Amino acid sequence: MSGAVASGPRVEGRDRREAAIGRRARQAALVVAGWLAFLGFWTYASNNLVNPFILPTPAKVLDEMWTIVSTGELFEHFQWSLMKTFVGFGLAVAIGLPIGMLMGTSRWWRAYFHMPVTIAGNIPGITYAVLALVIFGISLEGPILAVALISMPYIAINVAAGLDGIDRGLLQMSHAFGRSGRDILRHVLIPTVIPFVFAGVRLSFALAWKVEAITEVFGSSNGIGYMIRHSYDQFSVAGILAWMFFFVIFIVLMERFVLQAAERRLFRWRPAEVTS
Amino acid sequence: MSAGTARAPADALTPRTPLARVAGWGRSDRGAQAASVLTALVFWQLIGMRYERIPTPAEVAEFFWSQASSGVLWAAFANTLDGFFVGLAIALVVGIALGLALGLSNAVRSFLNDIVVVGLAVPGVIWALLAILWFGFSFKAPVAAVAMTATPFIAVQVAQGVRGTSRELMRMSTAFGVPWHKRIRHLVLPSVMDYVFAGFRFAVIMGWNAVLLAEWFGGRAGVGFQTRTWYDANNFTGFVSWVLFFIVFIVLLDRLVLERVARRTFRWRAQATPTTRGGA
Repeated sequence: MSGAVASGPRVEGRDRREAAIGRRARQAALVVAGWLAFLGFWTYASNNLVNPFILPTPAKVLDEMWTIVSTGELFEHFQWSLMKTFVGFGLAVAIGLPIGMLMGTSRWWRAYFHMPVTIAGNIPGITYAVLALVIFGISLEGPILAVALISMPYIAINVAAGLDGIDRGLLQMSHAFGRSGRDILRHVLIPTVIPFVFAGVRLSFALAWKVEAITEVFGSSNGIGYMIRHSYDQFSVAGILAWMFFFVIFIVLMERFVLQAAERRLFRWRPAEVTS
Repeated sequence: MSAGTARAPADALTPRTPLARVAGWGRSDRGAQAASVLTALVFWQLIGMRYERIPTPAEVAEFFWSQASSGVLWAAFANTLDGFFVGLAIALVVGIALGLALGLSNAVRSFLNDIVVVGLAVPGVIWALLAILWFGFSFKAPVAAVAMTATPFIAVQVAQGVRGTSRELMRMSTAFGVPWHKRIRHLVLPSVMDYVFAGFRFAVIMGWNAVLLAEWFGGRAGVGFQTRTWYDANNFTGFVSWVLFFIVFIVLLDRLVLERVARRTFRWRAQATPTTRGGA
């Protein structure tokens, strides 16, 4: 990269650009090579090392994925899982927003909710799955409750942190001009807090999506987790792997594109350094 | 746990009558925490009294006592811990090695990054089910489930720590011909320690989840298996007791052990900072 120090600035610039292109090409080649090596090793292992029933070849899994797409199963069960996840987030906002506002405005309430909120955000997902199973049995409400419980702490903590940074001058001015508590809530507090609610949803999305699936594995009659359980009950490793890849692809797409784009839109009005 | 000793300002002004002291304590952070625990217990008692299926705290305590005194509790707990720790040890070794490779070499990072990202996104329940199908109903299944779930988290953290290591020092030690194993030991490892620790703490929670799931679906013994047994027997007192047991264990492990160890391990940092600042 520094080989062109002695030559003129134009040559140096071109060299650097070429070097950058070369670097990017090499990196892309390595990424492709990584996937090929992974798939190659997988194919080799399933053909020679273990029983293909234990580990089906990538081609077999791809075939299974195609079947799931073409029969419409994918769309149907994704729809159910997504619906439950979003309703769960709605519930989490309904519980987490008031808790976060209490924590952000009063020291006593912050201490009161500190332990339950940290515990709820840190215990393993199986807890919520079995809890939902006990309360609702095999149901739609179980996964919804699980999503709400796992993401509520993230929303509460973010809202509390957001209220810490509220514009005190604006609050004092509102009081001085005799605005009612409801007006202040509606025009000052809520607009401040909304982006932080969203940040909580974004931070807990992958976790909530996983817990939703775990809960469906335990007790559900539809959704991705149910199909994973179904494949397991039929000893179909190909089925589990196929659903696993759909699951992973969805998380990656959601995090990379939808949530990041939405966050950029929501935080557009703020100076850049606060966003990060 | 954070700031327990702070008192409300009014406390200092009021005369120290017993009643005022109680009121002052009630307004303190510690009072708020006590109130929080108390509310939870009262709430649980009321729910237990209202719904037939849900046991009250007293019933759970009684069940716990019977399980502990008959030895079932400890046998199952030891069994689960066995698989849990072996799996975590494997995850630590593989994860640190993988993380060092990902952090030190750009080529390795391009080569393997996507696969690690996929590993991060796979939920523990899928690893648990695959482990059972791959290793059967044996000791190996929970171990594999823990190792597969926890490894990517440790690897990603370690890689991040390595990339944060001072480039200056790296370049200098390369220039002075320090061999690579010494560079890793004296330069990279100390600076990635807190990343390793953060990854390990996360891996503990994820791994606990995975071991319980593996035991629930394909175990012959252990805490997860016991929970499953009582659930299948439709005995909710037993079921809730075992669920509480594994929640309490992981919360205590995280709050009391891991947090404290982290504070002890990085004690030198708080003392070291003023000295370096004074020198510079």
